[in-house]
Amino acid sequence: MEILYLMIPLGVVLVAAAGAALIWAVRDGQYDDLDGVARRMPDD
Amino acid sequence: MTSAAADWSVYDRPELRDSVSAMAGDGLREVLLGIDGMHCASCAASIERALAPLAAQVQIDVAARTAQLRFDPRQSSLSALLGAIEAAGFKPRVFAQDASLNRDRRAAREELARIGVAVLCAMQVMMLAWPTYGREASGIMAPMLALLRWTQWLLATPGVLYAGWPFFVHAARSLRARRVDMDVPIAVSLAIAYGVSAWRVLAGGGELYFDSATMFVMLLSGARWLEGRSRGVATGHLRRLLGARKLTATRVGAAGDETVALAQIARDDILRIAPGEAVPVDGRLLDDDAELDEALLSGEARPVQRHAGATLLAGSLNVGATAIRVRAEALGHDTWLAQITAVLNRAARERPPFQQTLDRIAGVFSLLILGLAALTAALWWPLSPEHALSAALAVLVASCPCALSLAGPLAFAAGSGRLARLGVLVARPRVLGRLAAVDTVIFDKTGTLTRMQPVVEDTELLGGARAGDSAARCLAIAAALERPFTHPIALAFRAYDRQLPVAALHSVAGRGISGRVEDVAYSIGADDGMLAPLADPAATAIVLRRDGRPLARFALRAPAREDAVAAVAALREQGCDVQLLTGDAEAPARALAQAVGIDHLRARMSPQGKLAHLRQLQGTGHVVMAVGDGINDAPLLAGADVACAMPQGAALAQAQADLLLVGDSLRPLTAAPALARVIRRRIVQNIAWALAYNAFVLPLAMGGVLLPWMAALGMSLSSLLVVLNALRLPRVEG
Repeated sequence: MEILYLMIPLGVVLVAAAGAALIWAVRDGQYDDLDGVARRMPDD
Repeated sequence: MTSAAADWSVYDRPELRDSVSAMAGDGLREVLLGIDGMHCASCAASIERALAPLAAQVQIDVAARTAQLRFDPRQSSLSALLGAIEAAGFKPRVFAQDASLNRDRRAAREELARIGVAVLCAMQVMMLAWPTYGREASGIMAPMLALLRWTQWLLATPGVLYAGWPFFVHAARSLRARRVDMDVPIAVSLAIAYGVSAWRVLAGGGELYFDSATMFVMLLSGARWLEGRSRGVATGHLRRLLGARKLTATRVGAAGDETVALAQIARDDILRIAPGEAVPVDGRLLDDDAELDEALLSGEARPVQRHAGATLLAGSLNVGATAIRVRAEALGHDTWLAQITAVLNRAARERPPFQQTLDRIAGVFSLLILGLAALTAALWWPLSPEHALSAALAVLVASCPCALSLAGPLAFAAGSGRLARLGVLVARPRVLGRLAAVDTVIFDKTGTLTRMQPVVEDTELLGGARAGDSAARCLAIAAALERPFTHPIALAFRAYDRQLPVAALHSVAGRGISGRVEDVAYSIGADDGMLAPLADPAATAIVLRRDGRPLARFALRAPAREDAVAAVAALREQGCDVQLLTGDAEAPARALAQAVGIDHLRARMSPQGKLAHLRQLQGTGHVVMAVGDGINDAPLLAGADVACAMPQGAALAQAQADLLLVGDSLRPLTAAPALARVIRRRIVQNIAWALAYNAFVLPLAMGGVLLPWMAALGMSLSSLLVVLNALRLPRVEG
C-alpha cells in the first residue's frame, strides 16, 4: 500500500494539469461556438 | 479595388470614431483590432515594429489575433494604424466596440471554466473521502489518513474557492443591498463546511465536509449553467441581431464605389452589397434574382429569392453569387433591425409582477432557513456538538429555495426563446399569463388575414366616359392622383403611373383624393353605393370621377394570405372563437371570411365600434387576443387582453403590441396560446415541486437524519429537475 504515497500526489498533479488544460482551452474560446464550425463547412 | 488608404480613412470620420475607438485618458484613444494572418510571435513582433512610430501603446494577443492600441489622435490616426498593419502584410479588422457583448462572452467562458474545475475537484475529493468513511473499521494507518485528509483540502480549495466564488460574490452583493436571497444560505453553508473541515485537518481529527462542499458547488453551478443557457436561447436571438450590425457600407457614386460610414448614408443613396455581406440599411432592391438569407429577421432558414423593387431589411445577408444594389430607404434607428432590437431590449428588462412576488417569497424563505439552521444547531449542541454542525449544514444546504427562484424566469425564457425562433417576438413578457387563457381571437382584415398590398383586378368604364377614354388612361390618371400617398390602395396604382402632371391635390380623410390632372378636375374615392355591385364580392370598389361624374371603377382586391386558412383552422381546433372585424363593406368581408373559414363577422365597423364589441366580449368573461397591423387598429389592440401586431415596414417600435409577428406568416401565431399554456403549467409544477420538496426534507435535516452530502445531492437534483422541467417544451412548428 506504500505505492499510494506516490499515486495520490501523482493524481493531484494530473488533476492540476487537466484543470489547467481545460481553463486554457475555455479561455482560448474553443468552446464559444460548438456548432458554427459544422454549419460553415458547406460555405467553404 | 480602390487604394487601401482610401478604404481606411472612413474610420477617422467623427460619425464612426466613437463606435470603433474610445477615449482612454491623457487625450489618447483606445481601439481593439482583429488581425487576420497573425499566427506566431514573430508576426506579432513585426506588427509591433510597424506600429511603434504611430501608437503610444501596443498590446498584441497572438492567440486571440487581436491588437489593443492606444494612439494620440493629434499625432496619428486610426487609418494610419490600419494602413501600417496592412503594409506589414496582415489584414486588420475593425470591430464595433460593443463592450457589453465582449463582457458577456468573457463571463460565459469563465463560467464554463469554473464548472470544469468544480467537476474535476468534486470527483477527486469524493474518491479520497471514500476510504475515510468509517475509518475505525477500515484500519488505515495514521500517516495515510493524514495524507488523504490534506489532499482533500488541497483539491477542495479550487473546487470551493475558485469554482464556487460567484456564490460568495452574489451573497456579498445581496447582503450589501440589505437583502437576503438564495445565495446567502449557499455561501454560508459553503463557508462553514470548508472552514470547519480545514480547521479539523489542522487539528488532526473530526469529520470532514469537503466532499459535500465540492459536490454542492459542482451540481449547483451545473444547474446555474443550464439556466443561463436557456436564458441565452431567448437573448441569443437579440445577440445575433446585434452582431449583424454593420459600421460601413459601399456607396455607388458618380466617381465609382466608396466606403462610407453608415451615418453618412442618406436616403436614396445607392449601395452595393457584395456576396456574403449583410444589408446595412432597409432599402429597395434594384437588381433581379437576388438571393437573401433573412433568417435573422423572420426565422426563415432557407434563402429567399427577391426581385427588383422588393424591400430588403437591414441584417439580411446576400447569399447569392453576385453583388446586389439597394436604394437606401430607412436608416439608423428607423430600420427594422434597430426596431426589433429596441423591442427585445425593452422586453428583456421587464420582470413580470408575479416573478417579483416569487423573488420576495424566496428572500423571506432564505432568511427563514438561516434562522432554522441556527435553531437546529442550538437544539443539537447540548447532545453532541459534532452532530449539531452536521445537522445545521444539512438544513442550510437541503432547503435552499433555488427551485422557487428558478421556476418562473426559466420557463418564461425558454418559452419566449421558442416563440422567437418561430417568428413571434414577446415584446411584453407579462402577457404570457393572459395568452394562456385566450379563448377569442379577433382578426383585422387588411394586412393580417390578407396581404397588405391589394392589386387592381379589374377596370370598368362608367357612364361619364367618352370616346378616347381607355382603361389604361384611367389607371394612369388614378396613379397620378395617388402618387404622393403610401397607403396600400395608393400603392396598388403605382404600377400604372405614366408620370402625368398633377396639381392641386387634396386628400379628405375617408372621402378620397381630388386634384387636377392635365388641367381637368378628377377625384378618386370609395364607391358611394350608387352603382351596381362588383362582380367579385371580395373586391373593394374605387371610383374615379371627372368633374363629379363617374368615369371608371376599379376593383381592388388584397389576396388572402396563403396560410390564413390553416391558421384559422388551427386556432379553432384549440377551442378559440375566431372573429373578423373590419371597416370594409359587408360583401368583400364576407367573401374573405368564407374563404378562410371564419363564421363570426362584423363589417363596416368604426374603430369605436370595434372597441365596443371587444369590451362586450370581455364583459362576458372572454379573454380576447386581437391581431392587427398595429397602426390602424391601435384602439382595438390597446383594449385587448393580448395585442398581437403584424407590423409592416418601419412601424415596428410604434406598434403597441404584446406580441409581434415578424415573419410574413400567420402560422406561428397559432402555436403561441398552446405554448403559453405549457409554460404556465411548467411554472405551477415547478413551484409545487419546490414547496413539496422543502416541506419533506426540512424535518429530516433538522432531525439529523439527512447528512450534508445527501442534502447537497437532494437540493441540486431538485434544482436540476426544475430546470429540465422548464426546458421541456413541446417541439411546436410554426
